[in-house]
Amino acid sequence: MRGKRRWTPLRRAVQGAVALLYLLLPWLNRGGFRAVSGNLASLKLGPVDLVEPAAGVSALLASKSWSWGLALGMALPLLLALALGPVFCSWVCPWGLFSEALDSFKLRVLKLRSSWSAQGYRRLFWVRLAVLFAFLAGSWALAVPLVAWLAPPRLLTALPQELFYLRVPPTLTGTLLLLWLAAELLGRRLVCRALCPVGSLWNLLRTPWTLAVRFQPPLCVDPQLAPCHLHCPWGIDPRRMGRFAGCTNCLRCVEGCPSGALQARPAAPRLPVHPHAPGSGAKPAS
Amino acid sequence: MKLSRRFLLELLFPPPPLRPPGAKDERAFLSLCIRCNRCVAACPYGTLKPAPLGAGVGAGTPLVEAREVPCYLCMACPPVCPTGALEPITDKRAVRMGVAVVDQLTCYAHQGILCRTCVDECPLEGEAIFQDQQLRPVVTEKCVGCGVCEKVCPVAEPAIVVKPRGRG
Repeated sequence: MRGKRRWTPLRRAVQGAVALLYLLLPWLNRGGFRAVSGNLASLKLGPVDLVEPAAGVSALLASKSWSWGLALGMALPLLLALALGPVFCSWVCPWGLFSEALDSFKLRVLKLRSSWSAQGYRRLFWVRLAVLFAFLAGSWALAVPLVAWLAPPRLLTALPQELFYLRVPPTLTGTLLLLWLAAELLGRRLVCRALCPVGSLWNLLRTPWTLAVRFQPPLCVDPQLAPCHLHCPWGIDPRRMGRFAGCTNCLRCVEGCPSGALQARPAAPRLPVHPHAPGSGAKPAS
Repeated sequence: MKLSRRFLLELLFPPPPLRPPGAKDERAFLSLCIRCNRCVAACPYGTLKPAPLGAGVGAGTPLVEAREVPCYLCMACPPVCPTGALEPITDKRAVRMGVAVVDQLTCYAHQGILCRTCVDECPLEGEAIFQDQQLRPVVTEKCVGCGVCEKVCPVAEPAIVVKPRGRG
């Protein structure tokens, strides 16, 4: 139909570059390179201040005050989320990369035959919402930005910084990361799918016009084969997902779709649905 | 019960350490600092470091250990803070990190030994600390708490120590 774009190599390259950047950043900064600094709570990119929205919101709630600087720092990431969806999780976050690697290690090397335990996406959505609420309410009550402090993306990117700047081992950050790892091992990609407050907020920032994978049933050649469903690193069936199913636009399903029935687009496709078009009789497998 | 609750509170909210220049008061600082370590990376002297275990809910927030490396008041860190936990001040005289306190029992000058290391090394020399008529160091209200005196004090256990702002 059309030349298939391979997204996964590009995504791996971006994820790897981000992880490598944060690994090397303390050394670069000490060497005098200061154009880029920070971790996944806030990043300085030349003259631009970027603040991760979940961390920023928890700081606003903790301080119970409005800060224009903070709001301005969150603006660009917020716009990115509204335009492209929760790409932070699938394209940027080093914990996401680690989580995917761990999952594929469990499946391919250890040959663990585990399936996605929680296929009830609706329930997962409420778990995520509860986690985010607990973190934000805690931030308010303790007057400490708990999301900024405890979320896996910052902890993981702060680890090399603490190894470099502290003259003692980073005991607490290490312990917190081990706790997240223990949670991750309880289920497939449990931290990313359900427990991370950052992912939870990014997943909420979807509008009807946010880039999303849209399914056009008439084009689907083989609903029984459904490679899209098998390939999704989040265990989501892209043919039947709602807006808040937890899809992060990694585009794995799109590149695996043989027919072009799955496409990532900003708005739902307006197709002339032909009653006699080939494939139109095929209903999504239930 | 009451004792254990106080213990827990002390564990979560220990007395504030010495904060970087420009820091808001401890409560506001703790609520705004998102632990991005940008001030730590901006410090050219390696003065700032993320708070290790023992800082309670302040773990990962920047602090100064003056006896290791004091703050030289270069004012590089306040403007990089993305949340305003550090206010973007540029005047080193406006800094309020704490105030130096002389221990008269151990200070050489107070024992009659001629020593003026702290007075000589103070970045606000003459304003923050001066010698009285008995040649003993006296800290004034202009002291900003940078900790250079604590660093250079020749006594093994420094006889002049910065008391962080917000500590009773």
